[in-house]
Amino acid sequence: MNTTVFSAPALRALLFWSVLAAFLAWDWARSPALDLTLEPPLIAAGSGQAASGGHCSMAK
Amino acid sequence: MKRLPLAAAMAAFFVFLLWSVAVRQAALFLVGIGLGAALAGARFGFTTGWRRLVEERDPRGVVGQLLLLGLAATLAMPLLGAFPELQAALGPPSISLLVGAFVFGLTMQIADGCGSGTLYKAGLGVPLNMGILPLFALGSFLGSVHLDGWLALGQTAPVGLVSLWGVGGALAATWVVLLAVGLGVRRWAGWQQAWWDRRWIIGAVALALLATLNLVIAGQPWGVVYGFGLWAAKAATALGLFDPAGNAFWSQAGNAQRLAQTVLMDVTSITNIGILAGALWVAARQGGEAAKPLTGRQWAIGLAAGFVMGYSSRLAFGCNVGAMLSGISTGSLHGWIWVPLAFAGTLVGIRVRRRFGF
Repeated sequence: MNTTVFSAPALRALLFWSVLAAFLAWDWARSPALDLTLEPPLIAAGSGQAASGGHCSMAK
Repeated sequence: MKRLPLAAAMAAFFVFLLWSVAVRQAALFLVGIGLGAALAGARFGFTTGWRRLVEERDPRGVVGQLLLLGLAATLAMPLLGAFPELQAALGPPSISLLVGAFVFGLTMQIADGCGSGTLYKAGLGVPLNMGILPLFALGSFLGSVHLDGWLALGQTAPVGLVSLWGVGGALAATWVVLLAVGLGVRRWAGWQQAWWDRRWIIGAVALALLATLNLVIAGQPWGVVYGFGLWAAKAATALGLFDPAGNAFWSQAGNAQRLAQTVLMDVTSITNIGILAGALWVAARQGGEAAKPLTGRQWAIGLAAGFVMGYSSRLAFGCNVGAMLSGISTGSLHGWIWVPLAFAGTLVGIRVRRRFGF
């Protein structure tokens, strides 16, 4: 029997990624649908649209 | 894990982002994968580089980081000058920055990983960093909740060197200081010490290019901490433990919007996910990181350090990535204040680490 998949590191990784995937799936399911017509430009540089994402340097 | 199923999963997620979220987010996921692969493949650890300089007088990691800062600035500053849509990582010089940077530098040594370090090591399967990740998120969230109180202790307006001195002046000043620091590092290490290493150089070049791509695509510099805090904020709000409308930080229009929409639309969150995936890809090829087993006490201290690291990174307006790399490369004074404070904290953190046998 191949026991590699049951090794402690593999189980740890499986748990970690399962929790992350579950969080993302939960978040997606409960978030309002996105209006794809309002999606941001692929390349911000030269788009004329100021960046509007969150960043750790922001005080607000 | 075999690479084929991993590649399939990453491709499926990419297509999902492309089809259902935004083309930009799909592109940033790829950038994140590149960042994670570069960090993990080159073992580009900011924390380890600082520690090796102090403990072993080995300058190679810090020289790699200086090269990264210089290259990233050389690419980012002209872009900031040419494209008004792009934003610099301008954090306010403040009491919270001083406290947060010092504490971050201290705790990252105990946790053996900063913001990006925690991500790529978690992706590589290092148990402590996998455990730290959610606590880092919780700490970052709590830091954001308390941020207004910390800022009331004293702050000044952010200072952007590109706006102040122009692209040429800001870039020249950045390189002068980086070279001066480099000379100081070499002097400390000893002139006979090897001062560069191929692994660190390749990592620096790859990260500089990818960080620039992040800036060009997202319109803002690479960041790590914001995404973590957002995830914890969402969980706390959903559980009824937190009312964002009553909080100075999360009631702000931009943050409130990001709280209301899926994290998959958040720039920092998607690159964080990409970094985890990129590191996992490296682990699948090279094998994960061999981690020394920890005692129960070391686990408790490490996890506590991870929580405090998250809290302090919020106060400090970023970690090694958000404050040091993105701040300095986009000309923010707060990045230059962050570094010496964090390094002072690291000197203490290394001793704490030694004290508890890490």
